[in-house]
Amino acid sequence: MNRQRLLTMIEIAIMAGIGVLFSTYITIRGLWPQGGSVSLAMVPIVILSFRRGWVAGVICGLLVGMLNFVLAATPPVHPVQVVLDYPLAFALLGTAGWIRLQPGEKGTFWKVAAGVTLAGLLRFLAHFISGVVWFGSFAPKGMSVWVYSFLYNISYILPDILVSTAVMALLIRNAPQLIRVNQ
Amino acid sequence: MSAFQSPVLGQYIPTGSVLHRLDPRTKLLFVFGYMFVVFLAQDALAYLFLTVIAAGGVWLSRIPLPMIFRGLKPILWLIALTALLHLGFTKGGDLLLQWGPVTVYEEGVRQAGWMSLRFLLLVVMGTLLTLTTSPIDLTDGLERLLKPLEKLRVPAHELALMMSIALRFLPALWEETEKIIKAQQARGADFETGNLFQRAKSYIPVIIPLFVSAFRRAEELALAMEARCYRGGKGRTRIRQLQFAPRDWGMLVLLAGLTGVLLWLRLNT
Repeated sequence: MNRQRLLTMIEIAIMAGIGVLFSTYITIRGLWPQGGSVSLAMVPIVILSFRRGWVAGVICGLLVGMLNFVLAATPPVHPVQVVLDYPLAFALLGTAGWIRLQPGEKGTFWKVAAGVTLAGLLRFLAHFISGVVWFGSFAPKGMSVWVYSFLYNISYILPDILVSTAVMALLIRNAPQLIRVNQ
Repeated sequence: MSAFQSPVLGQYIPTGSVLHRLDPRTKLLFVFGYMFVVFLAQDALAYLFLTVIAAGGVWLSRIPLPMIFRGLKPILWLIALTALLHLGFTKGGDLLLQWGPVTVYEEGVRQAGWMSLRFLLLVVMGTLLTLTTSPIDLTDGLERLLKPLEKLRVPAHELALMMSIALRFLPALWEETEKIIKAQQARGADFETGNLFQRAKSYIPVIIPLFVSAFRRAEELALAMEARCYRGGKGRTRIRQLQFAPRDWGMLVLLAGLTGVLLWLRLNT
């Protein structure tokens, strides 16, 4: 087996492990006065995506979603939701790597911000559609589930995107070796 | 250490029951199928069948009820909210209660009951799956279920391998994170004060060493696998073979029967 391919696989696996830790067990408190937390789950997926390309990032996200399902972070409530909320939403985070980064060049911050924002919005879209489908199958007829799903999902994904962008920009400035591959 | 809860990885509770001994593929297929057919139910008889199966599952699993309840906790407020929404907004039938602007109709009570039950059934079945199947078994099951997709060049074996590695390394990664956090706290790092961005920034000295060591770990593991001639999924054998027992076929027949009955009830009532 090709050495780089094997190494990429293992890096994906270990970053996915960190992603699971960050999405459930290690979160930053203090978003709202009463509980509510921001997760850094995007960070390992996005780092890997910049380091190894978006395909690796997407696979890493897929794994984070599947692991969250297997570890039962939250119980599933709808067959469509199982697919959209777990594997797909996180897999879309891997798309951040569509932008190639050269650490140290000008405008890195904006490239990181663009990558993270796009990936975050795609993730939002998956959760949003999922919310419409599953909440729609429970809510009373005539209720605007679109609005509820939009408000609920944007309320935590927007802070996630902002904080992840800030963390990613600092990481790439202070430790550019994280997104560079040693040959 | 208020900000960091110790992880209980997964919910698996081994009791050695017949549900535990079912093939993980059977359980995945059954729960996924069940989640679809729940939405066919519209009347009391259909819900009765579904409830009997879920209750039977709980009973067969020999898992203490409080443990199952613990898995439901994060969802209970959602169930309550759904019920309240129906009580308040679903109209139809007789007016049962009027109190200022609040009105409760007969149909609202009915829908509140059915929707809460539907919600509960879905969550109980999902929880039962993870309570009776270890994450490793679920990974094995997923790998085998995804196997046919290998013809479409979906790398089922590689995905499952990566999942197993991630599961295997989770406790180690957790320990390492905790160690780094403590080491930084000993140097005066503060994770608990300041606004959101200041707190996020305080995690940078944790994330960098964690990631650097993670990439080093990855390299070591790749080297170790190479030294043992890992060649990918082709021709790979496994020490534990998944095999369908008669009880697995029984479960699938039960699922087919349930689907048939619910379809019939839906079309004929």
